[in-house]
Amino acid sequence: MDLTQNPLYERLEAELEKLREMAKAAGAETWEDRKKAQTPQCRFGEGGICCRICSMGPCRITPKAPRGICGADAGAIAGRNYLRFTAGGCAAHSDHGREICHTMLAAKPDGSYQITDVDKLLRLAKEWGFETEGRDIYEVAHEVGEAALNEYGKPYGFQRFLSRATEERQQVWQREGIAPRAVDREIATAMHMTHMGNTADAEALVRQSLRTGLADGWGGSMTGTEFSDILFGTPMPNDTEADLGVLEKDMVNIIVHGHDPAMSEMVVAASEDRDMIEYARSKGAKGINVAGLCCTANEVAMRHGIRMAGNFLQQEKAMLTGLVEMMAVDVQCIFPALGPLSECFHTKVITTSPIARIPGTIYVQFSAETARQQGRDLVKMAIDNFENRNPGKIFVPQNKQKATVGYSCEGIKSRLDTVTNSFVDELDTYKPLIECIKSGVIRGAVAIVGCNNPKVRPDYAHIEIMKELLANDIVIVATGCAAQAAAKAGLMDKENAVQYCGEGLKRVCKLADIPPVLHMGSCVDISRMMLLATGIAKDWGIDVPQVPVVGCAPEWMSEKAVSIANYVVATGIDTYLGVEPQVSGSAEMMELITEGTRKMVGAGYIINTDCDQLVQAMIDGIEAKRAALGI
Amino acid sequence: MGLFDVVYHGSDEMYFKAEAAVKETIEKIGENAPVSFGNTAYYLACIKAYTALEVTNMAQLRDALVPIRAMMTRNNRTADIFHSGIATAMAAEVIEACKYAVNPKPYGEADNPNDNKYHGHMTDAEVRELGVPLVTRDIPGFVVLIDEAPTDEQAVALIKGYQSRGIFVFLLGGIIDQAVRKGVKMGFPVRVVPVGPDIIAVSHIISLVVRAAFIFGNIQPGDYVNMNTYTMDRIFAFVNAFTPVSDITVACGAGAIAMGFPVITNETKDMNWRVPKSLIINEDVDQWIDCSLEARGIKIKVTEMDIPIACSSAFEGEIIRKGDMQLEADGSRKDCLELVRTKDVHEIEDHKITLVGKDIDEFGVGEKICMATIVEVGGVKMQPDFEPVMERKIHSFINCLEGIMHTGQRDLIRIRVSKAAFEAGFRMKHFGELLYAKIKNEYDAVVDKCQVTIYTEPEKVHELRVEANKIYDARDARVSKLTDESVDVFYTCILCQSFSPSHVCIITPERLGLCGAVSWMDAKATNQLDPNGPCQIVPKERVIDENIGIWEDVNEAVNKYSHGALEQVSLYSIMMDPMTSCGCFECICGIEPFSNGVVIVNREHTGLTPLGMSFSELASQTGGGVQTPGFMGHGRHFIPSKKFMKAEGGVQRIVWMPKALKDSVAERLNATAKELYGIDSFVDMIADETLTPEGDPEALVEFLTEKGHPALGLEPMM
Repeated sequence: MDLTQNPLYERLEAELEKLREMAKAAGAETWEDRKKAQTPQCRFGEGGICCRICSMGPCRITPKAPRGICGADAGAIAGRNYLRFTAGGCAAHSDHGREICHTMLAAKPDGSYQITDVDKLLRLAKEWGFETEGRDIYEVAHEVGEAALNEYGKPYGFQRFLSRATEERQQVWQREGIAPRAVDREIATAMHMTHMGNTADAEALVRQSLRTGLADGWGGSMTGTEFSDILFGTPMPNDTEADLGVLEKDMVNIIVHGHDPAMSEMVVAASEDRDMIEYARSKGAKGINVAGLCCTANEVAMRHGIRMAGNFLQQEKAMLTGLVEMMAVDVQCIFPALGPLSECFHTKVITTSPIARIPGTIYVQFSAETARQQGRDLVKMAIDNFENRNPGKIFVPQNKQKATVGYSCEGIKSRLDTVTNSFVDELDTYKPLIECIKSGVIRGAVAIVGCNNPKVRPDYAHIEIMKELLANDIVIVATGCAAQAAAKAGLMDKENAVQYCGEGLKRVCKLADIPPVLHMGSCVDISRMMLLATGIAKDWGIDVPQVPVVGCAPEWMSEKAVSIANYVVATGIDTYLGVEPQVSGSAEMMELITEGTRKMVGAGYIINTDCDQLVQAMIDGIEAKRAALGI
Repeated sequence: MGLFDVVYHGSDEMYFKAEAAVKETIEKIGENAPVSFGNTAYYLACIKAYTALEVTNMAQLRDALVPIRAMMTRNNRTADIFHSGIATAMAAEVIEACKYAVNPKPYGEADNPNDNKYHGHMTDAEVRELGVPLVTRDIPGFVVLIDEAPTDEQAVALIKGYQSRGIFVFLLGGIIDQAVRKGVKMGFPVRVVPVGPDIIAVSHIISLVVRAAFIFGNIQPGDYVNMNTYTMDRIFAFVNAFTPVSDITVACGAGAIAMGFPVITNETKDMNWRVPKSLIINEDVDQWIDCSLEARGIKIKVTEMDIPIACSSAFEGEIIRKGDMQLEADGSRKDCLELVRTKDVHEIEDHKITLVGKDIDEFGVGEKICMATIVEVGGVKMQPDFEPVMERKIHSFINCLEGIMHTGQRDLIRIRVSKAAFEAGFRMKHFGELLYAKIKNEYDAVVDKCQVTIYTEPEKVHELRVEANKIYDARDARVSKLTDESVDVFYTCILCQSFSPSHVCIITPERLGLCGAVSWMDAKATNQLDPNGPCQIVPKERVIDENIGIWEDVNEAVNKYSHGALEQVSLYSIMMDPMTSCGCFECICGIEPFSNGVVIVNREHTGLTPLGMSFSELASQTGGGVQTPGFMGHGRHFIPSKKFMKAEGGVQRIVWMPKALKDSVAERLNATAKELYGIDSFVDMIADETLTPEGDPEALVEFLTEKGHPALGLEPMM
């Protein structure tokens, strides 16, 4: 690929480069500077063969020193690190889910939070065997919320959501001993197993990684998604815009950043209060513009069409525009760098969760009881800050693209319903999609997820892989930072994106009135993708590993991503990684995560840091699954 | 076999047949033998559409096989089956072309193809005829029925069912025999066309579709992407294919789907694939009509009426012969008339239908009767200006009845009621029911109440006729005073934009829409009935050149409504920024350089003009919203207008017209010439195909010189 001749990246990167100049002028640093300072990075850490689990170490594996002081070999050390990585990710997602459950318990008709999707609540209550007839929905909500909280620490049994999987999957999980018990139990087990003097068998560590991942994807994350939908509404297709150009020169710009929608929803609500808008006008602004960053952007865009300012590696850039009055953050993927950076600009950074306390920021701890008023307080604080803009430090970004987002499973089915024929088809199934795949009009589907990582040219792998898949009639579902990369590149713009599609996908998009890359939400919403794959398998009458669907994380970086990768694989979906998991110092571990899991659950990782080769491998993988089905 | 393999196999099969046909035909008639379907300016239209090749002889046809084969790619993506499918239709066209090269009438000896069992090729004139009904949605779509229905009864039920919903029906293969066995009336005028004996004849249908895209959409030859976008978005066709479906048919189906036309079939053997909204398997043939319409997204506007016979635009072209006639109201022999009058709402009893005189069953068979139809309407927003607009629609309302024929308007009507309609229970009151329902439905914005009275009592009708004539005269006097100068506003008409997205008509009192269907009065009424509709007010305040017909307001309007495709239009010139056309124009005029004049030819004329081109060929120069100086599409009634190419000297430039056209405009044209130039009997100076049968420019100039035609003395136009 000739990078110099690509107008899309030139356009995207030229603006980011301008913003770096703004940083230089302001005497601030950005991740690019720190990445430089961190290079070269530690190759023991990178290979996963540095052990810091006890104070006999650190021990590092070399050809001359193949074992740590306790005798742990490369496989044991890399395996333990890998499992702890996974446990960290599961803990983050699941705690996010738990927080939403607490929010649901605080929901009341006249409180800060209400129940929005009553149908979804009632469906879940029935699924879990609670009485719903003639009951107050808040009573039901509180009962279901408490049951969900108990899933985190229940002493016996497995995660309730496992029964949503295909019969075959449930049997595989039991057979392999990886069906997750209580969420906290799996995290604790992971920590315990990796404590000094416990498991040294790499395969056992990988198995527990799968189980811990499943506790996330079919436990904590799924809870986070389901309960967010019940509280804030299940996303349905709606239009928005993406990239830094959504910041408005003449308006009070508030960025909501992080993951848990509880805080951002309150800021959005307050920004729409009439008196707040009038107050902003009284301060010389044309209005209040809330924009999202990272997965918070995904949450509020999916539900309200709030525009998306950018993904992970763009968080500092947003502030560098000099246009942001406030950045309100909650949990996960928040750069500690935002604190010091805000000292160079008028932007106020507000931390709101005890989980993410950052020096150099203003801490306003959100509570479910007072959240509505706190949202208004924040918006007012942002408006008051409007006059503090420094005209000499302003750069107004121009890049933005239209996007149609909001493709929850329900959203996808609602579009599929529109292409059915009432004489021959049923409603509310994935069958229209299956028919497209079976006939070959669409070859398959790829779930593209994950972060940005400075090891990869930001968004490049996401976008290039997507374009190649689209050209091959492969439909894409995306979440997290990957979804925002697609939006920024115009791949979620129904009109613009078809130019990249093969004729089959182009036709399907036109008939169903969808973009070829479907935004399914934030990173916890990868649980939606598991339900999508499961739903397809069930409607097709086959198991998930047979479906021509694969997952891909081209630019992943966080522990959450590894946890996700584990549950995606355990669900039976091959996962293509563009960044190597940090286990390459152990050949045994590399073998286990690519081929070993295949024997256990029918799927594994395919790792290639060259995105051209990675996408080709995906296409081949999908065609191989098609051939195996005889289609 | 997977779906893709079946398509590949079918397209191979068609291709090899085409290759063999070409070889055999060249052996028979040689490679220099001409190839043409006749009466088309678009060569072999499918081949031209997708390869831009203009095939005129067998050698070129042979060479065309190369790009056809090259389109049949095999990379296992949808693009491959789409391309292969379309190439299959092109290969079919090759085979059909070979038939026509050997025998220009391969489907029968009759001159009128509607009299043959198979219709085969459809002419450009037939394609253009579809323009207006497609735009007005009188034809909401097309269906192609392929092969034999499970039973003859089901075949007829489908054909009739589609026909009664206005859907244009094409038949291929065995279903034609079923229709013949059941005595179904077929032919282009009744919108049921038995195209050919097998799937290969499908190329004639694709040819019609791509020519519609050329004519109305200005799609360029070889533009695969825009051709398919146009057909998908604007031609509401679909396919019904009966089991057993051959691989060749599946391949053609892939081509249909590529063009956006869904295929509905009852084939289940080896058909394990369905594609939403594209390939639908429904074993219950009796559901096909509604299932198909839903698949193609066609919604039929149904007007509920208590009438014992069907009413659909498909019956508009139906002819009732004398022998089939129960009775006739013939305005040329008896007193007959139709009149719409505005009345105070309080004086109208809504839905009151009255018959004064004898009913149909009280007359003798074949009798000529007197008949007056008086429609009285009222409403807060009703204006007398709308009366003639509604009155003129009575013709098409009544003509859509199955078994009833209607021509003319005012007191020059002719209505024939067939024996079949009579036997089905049709009586006089049903005319009332029909008119009541249609007027209430179509003009609900202004008509609150409507009552209809039908008179068949000769003396009463005679009285009414005298009265009506006073009203007609008053109206005509009003209209004749209407000139472009006397009104404050013009109107746009963008009704055609559903087919011709960048065309805008500017309607003025002296220049009606080029389709002949929209006068300034109509446009005004349309605007008032639907203020956001196709006819928008264009002020004429900022004049740039009144002689050539340029207004800044008009330019702004065409720019806005053509979405920037057009910047300037001169209303009275055919040389400088002439008005564009959609493609449904009644007539086209083009400059004739030897005489400094123009020739005008109407759509119905199939012969050549002195320019050496037929209507089709001339028409292909323009249309699709493109400006082509020297050529202009226009309505028949524009010819005698004082504004007709006023910038170039007006009607005195007309040097040639087909005789039939000339006769139809003679009276008014003579009057205009007399008024403008003082010339008597100007029409006699205009040549036609009978006066200069040689058809060449020399003979034309000789004739004009002999007659002292004024054009010869004018400045050259180029």
